[in-house]
Amino acid sequence: MNSHPYLRAYLAGVFVPTLVLPLLLVIFIVVRIVLRAPIPIEQAMIFPMAVVPSLFGLWNMLWLGSHVRTHLSIGVHGAVLPLLLMPAGTLTASCLGILALGSHGVTWFQGVYVPYALIAPCFLAALVGYYLVWKYIVGFLNRVLGIA
Amino acid sequence: MSTNDELHMKKLLQQALPPVEGNLEPGRDLWPSVLRRLDAKTSALPWFDWALVAGLIAFAAFFPASIPVFLYYL
Repeated sequence: MNSHPYLRAYLAGVFVPTLVLPLLLVIFIVVRIVLRAPIPIEQAMIFPMAVVPSLFGLWNMLWLGSHVRTHLSIGVHGAVLPLLLMPAGTLTASCLGILALGSHGVTWFQGVYVPYALIAPCFLAALVGYYLVWKYIVGFLNRVLGIA
Repeated sequence: MSTNDELHMKKLLQQALPPVEGNLEPGRDLWPSVLRRLDAKTSALPWFDWALVAGLIAFAAFFPASIPVFLYYL
């Protein structure tokens, strides 16, 4: 089990978004086709499909390569990831037209309104969520695959 | 390797590793200890992490509009 540790780290990192993605797809399809909400599903799926899984895998590879020097726990390392993902995702969403900036808040997917006052708590919640996911799920997978 | 060499090797190994004498069984049943340790490992979620999970659930319950946004980033 000592061969290709970075490949195993990538696979362990990709695991969570790969599981979440079909769920997300089902939710989007149900909301659009069954509930007939005008969600631009094609644009909304680009970032979660193309960027998030790869970034999770690469982030876990980075942890494997750096934790000997940094001694950063996997949870804290994962909690740093939203600092990259949030601006990148927001920029992508804005360019694709699924995020509209208003005077009092942000409208996501042409239907989900988030006031500006909630942006900071949302960001904190994302940090917490990522910390827990990386500590317990990615950390567990890293142990199972023999790289932690 | 000839038969003589094999016998010689066997003799050397027996000299190097003397037979273990006495009772080889442990004095008590070790399986309950193993089970206790396994249980302790699985239930070792710190209170801080429980608080974070509770906070996250409460946040999602109070602001359900944030759920699709979170899913977009995961």
